[in-house]
Amino acid sequence: MKQILYDKAAPAANSILSVISAFVVGGVILLFIGKNPFTLYGQLFLQGMGSSLGVIETIIKMAPLLMVSAGLLVAFSGGLWNLGVEGQFLMGAILTGWLAPKLVPFLSLPVYFITLGGIGFAGGMIWALLPAILKARYNLNEIIITLMMNYVALNLVTWMVKGPINDLSVVPAQTKLIPMTHRMPMIPFTRIHLGLIIGLIVIIGVYWIIRRTTMGYQIRVLFANKRAAIHTGMNVKRIIVWSLLTSGGFSGLAGAIDVLAIKGLFQGGWNPMYGITCIPLVFLARLNGWAVIPLSYFFSFLVVGGEFVARDQGVPVFFVHVLEGLMLLSFAAGEHIGKGRVT
Amino acid sequence: MLFEEALFVTVLASTLRGSMPMLLAALGETYAESAGILNLGIEGMMVAGAFASFLVGLQTNMVPLGFLGAAIIGAVLGGIIGFLVIGLRLNQIVVGLGMTVFTSAFCNLLHRIIFGSQFPMLWGAGMTTEIPVLSKIPIIGQPLFNQHWLVYVTLALVPVLYFLLYRTSLGLRIRAVGETPWAADASGVNVYGIRYLTIILAGVLASTGGAFLAIGDLAFFIPDMVKGRGYIAIVVVMLGRWNPIKVFLGSLLFGFALSLTSALQVAGLKVSPDFILTMPYLVVILTLIIIAKSTSLPAALCVPYKRGE
Amino acid sequence: MNNQPLIRLKAITKRFKGVIANDAVDFDLYPGEVHTLLGENGAGKSTLMHILSGLVQPDSGSIEIRGESVNIRSPYDSLRHGIGMVYQHFALVPNLTVIENIILGFEEGLILNRKRTESVLKQIFKEFELSLPLDEKISNLSVGERQRVEIAKALFHRSDVLILDEPTSVLTPIESEELFNTVFSMRRMGKAVVFITHKLKETIGISDRISILKLGKKVAEMSGEDLRQVGEEEGYRRIFDVMFDNTQLPKDTTTIKRSSEEMPILELDQVVCLGNFGEMRLKKLSLKLNKGEIFGIAGVDGNGQKELAEILAGQRKVVSGRLILDGNDITHEEGAGTRTDLGISYITDDRMQEGCALSMSVAENSILRLFKRPPFSRRKIMNKANINRHAEALIREFDIKVSGPDVDVGTLSGGNIQKILLARELSLHPKVLVCNKPTQGLDAKTTRYVKDRLQQESVRGTAVLFISSDLDELLSCSDRIGVLYDGELLDIVNRCDANRENIGKLMLGIRQ
Repeated sequence: MKQILYDKAAPAANSILSVISAFVVGGVILLFIGKNPFTLYGQLFLQGMGSSLGVIETIIKMAPLLMVSAGLLVAFSGGLWNLGVEGQFLMGAILTGWLAPKLVPFLSLPVYFITLGGIGFAGGMIWALLPAILKARYNLNEIIITLMMNYVALNLVTWMVKGPINDLSVVPAQTKLIPMTHRMPMIPFTRIHLGLIIGLIVIIGVYWIIRRTTMGYQIRVLFANKRAAIHTGMNVKRIIVWSLLTSGGFSGLAGAIDVLAIKGLFQGGWNPMYGITCIPLVFLARLNGWAVIPLSYFFSFLVVGGEFVARDQGVPVFFVHVLEGLMLLSFAAGEHIGKGRVT
Repeated sequence: MLFEEALFVTVLASTLRGSMPMLLAALGETYAESAGILNLGIEGMMVAGAFASFLVGLQTNMVPLGFLGAAIIGAVLGGIIGFLVIGLRLNQIVVGLGMTVFTSAFCNLLHRIIFGSQFPMLWGAGMTTEIPVLSKIPIIGQPLFNQHWLVYVTLALVPVLYFLLYRTSLGLRIRAVGETPWAADASGVNVYGIRYLTIILAGVLASTGGAFLAIGDLAFFIPDMVKGRGYIAIVVVMLGRWNPIKVFLGSLLFGFALSLTSALQVAGLKVSPDFILTMPYLVVILTLIIIAKSTSLPAALCVPYKRGE
Repeated sequence: MNNQPLIRLKAITKRFKGVIANDAVDFDLYPGEVHTLLGENGAGKSTLMHILSGLVQPDSGSIEIRGESVNIRSPYDSLRHGIGMVYQHFALVPNLTVIENIILGFEEGLILNRKRTESVLKQIFKEFELSLPLDEKISNLSVGERQRVEIAKALFHRSDVLILDEPTSVLTPIESEELFNTVFSMRRMGKAVVFITHKLKETIGISDRISILKLGKKVAEMSGEDLRQVGEEEGYRRIFDVMFDNTQLPKDTTTIKRSSEEMPILELDQVVCLGNFGEMRLKKLSLKLNKGEIFGIAGVDGNGQKELAEILAGQRKVVSGRLILDGNDITHEEGAGTRTDLGISYITDDRMQEGCALSMSVAENSILRLFKRPPFSRRKIMNKANINRHAEALIREFDIKVSGPDVDVGTLSGGNIQKILLARELSLHPKVLVCNKPTQGLDAKTTRYVKDRLQQESVRGTAVLFISSDLDELLSCSDRIGVLYDGELLDIVNRCDANRENIGKLMLGIRQ
């Protein structure tokens, strides 16, 4: 990761080129499976960016992407590979889906939202705790542990909604429905819920923390050179735990808000796989919080547009993941070419 | 008594069968890691192997060709990853993740396009080969000696790969390249060649492991079928410390955890299958916690090599 | 000497990122001779030999071996031409055994044949009077032994040419003597040896021929025999004249006589500590450091120097014994941050990998130890303006060659990076300054600058613990020299009583 990220002077050119080359290779793949890439991409942009439905859906979907990306930003800035955002997201979501209906009678609305936000955040943190401790204490590779935690979470939440916390009145396994009065409020005069505003605040806040506070400074030093951090007296273990927990927390918060705003309950087998979307996103943003915002819009558009196109053009939604994988690869390749040019 | 014997036989047979995909992938990963490459693309390679074997098997109606197809795809994917991380010296983690996301999604895409929402069976897949005489041994005969032919081949590979890595010049070179590539280079060893060789081998074995899952153990392909087995293989390699024999034992452990589902069904216990499904991953995490203190990685793992740097 | 040179390099030119390393250098080598390449750090000696060993490709020039023009594209080619090189940072795989390292690349056949290898090695060991534990891992060997493994490896490859890159810089005087004996016996066998060094004395002692490089150019070739005949003093002078302009002559740093009264500031009492693998590295070490003195620590690398520095800096735990600073027991006030606050600063010997964050700016590196304190941060929020002002002041004061505080440290030269470290630690105004090989790899000018700064610090009253493996450097600027051997302080010698011989013997563990 060291060689790839954090080139202050590097322009956005590589990120844009990565996106373009992913689209080009994706186009070749479309040809290969017998689809016309021009029609498909045309429809993608037309429906995703050209229709008010597409634009609004895209903006709504930005909220979780912003929050998960904020979490990844904290971890990646410290050189920590938190690949467990999906599990952390699910834990935040299921705790919220489970506890929200129980809290409805007891809490006033503002307290209710703040409590549930906290619960979602805590859910994500809990799911990041083990990798954080193992990384800090034994320097155990967090990549594998966070990935494994995803699989545990996926099966665990399915088990939970089928059994212990099931709303037994309905057939598909799910939690109790949250009443409409207790869903996330909308931004006035729109159909867009407040999660977008929260997401924007979170990403900018996180970026400010990383750039301007002593904790953020220590995280960046950890990224640049762990031995130097130890050498100059930083408490590396604390930094690792702090950043991984915070990272998990924001993913959990994203889960909480998705449940409160869109789903209204937690359903068995639900996994929006934001990790696959947000990891390339944060790379393309080059760990810059401001760049995350337009990229979130773009990736959200891909997901939303991809769903439309899947319906109309018969190209399965997996195609968006194909593009995302290609973006990661072309981003890495672009860094290599960029390096070659400098020297 | 009869009940216990049935349980034992089921567990033994399905442990062996269930550990094969991970064992194959882990044997390849052992070589790649020994030479300094952490292959996070392993998960995608397994998916690709599973899908390719199924597709080829179905098209040609010949199961062995399915395995061949998987091996070829694995070699190609290994070559691509090799080119990216050895030739271009890109970051191994980003490339591995990108390849896994890409190949998994691509296979799922193709599957959906070719088969829609259907999951056809490949007839003739999953057949076992009974070894005469040995399979007649009471109790252990059937579970051990009435398995898929690839199980026997893989078991035979374990000592062969051990010998190759620790008793031959090629193995010596592989280990040297993974520890101190520049010293190996200065000794006249072709660092790039060795690394390409190991990553291609890792690709072939991982894809064959995926193929075993689809057309060896079962007879169909479903998009999520690999379920992190590739990543588990990486843990198995850490557990086995790059020793193919220990890697084999580690695979058995996870094969056992996987086999619990069917075993508990045979035992007639009412435990939610969703809960049991978390078992292998919990075993992985527990294992990691236990071995946490004693793991170390080859010194040059993830570090690209360029002469004179 | 034969008329046919074994190796002839013609007009070799090599640039690195625009900086010239070799400028049309000619070099030839005959069988049965020791040809020394002499020059300062950065003169291009190693580069020239790396070209011969295939590690580096020249931009232009040609190579002839036994009269035939050859193309050496890789170390493989070079080895096949019978060229063996002993690298300064040994090309050995630490995790493999001695025998595995020796045969690596020359295994002959797929299946390793231990018996055959062993018999060949025995023959070689007998011929050259070497001995090595064949089944020991390299990581368990001393530096001198590792060097012998590399030599054995070259002999096993049946090399006709052996290139030794600064071989004595890591050896004790007696180990060096042993090495010279091996070199002489190789010469007797008709092999050719290239000896890279920047030390004058050994150059005159062992060379048949001497080529002097300066700033990438070959500036002179001399006969070792001639220099030995004219006597040591005159020989030195001749080489000096070529290597340095008169103005550049490295003068011995001026001696500043200080008051002789002892005011201990730091005391180590029976300190024991462990190495990274749980082995005992410091064995009941006791030491008193006085205010305003430079205390030199001599010793061959790996005898506990790094551990000594790290327990003082708080980066390593003390197992038993006490550390007393200014009368207070600080043994258990661990952590680099705590020790910094107590007034102990530490300049690490690994300036690139440990001392700084290469991908961060000069400003961000300058406050690595200070970022928690005002005015650099208040209530956990950093103040960028103050940090930049601080960095700019340090850049001016320490004459760091950089265009501004926002530049990444990784783009600077080693000397300037060392100045940043020096600036960072001195800006803390420490009571005790621990520095481990602070001049390693620096050019003569920066070396002098660093040593002068340390002198000034000591005059100001700071106690300086100066760890170095370069004996001459220690002799030139320490008030007292302690010799560390196998985790013990064998003896402490006052400057006036110290000389190369008695310190050198102590470095080998021989007490007077």
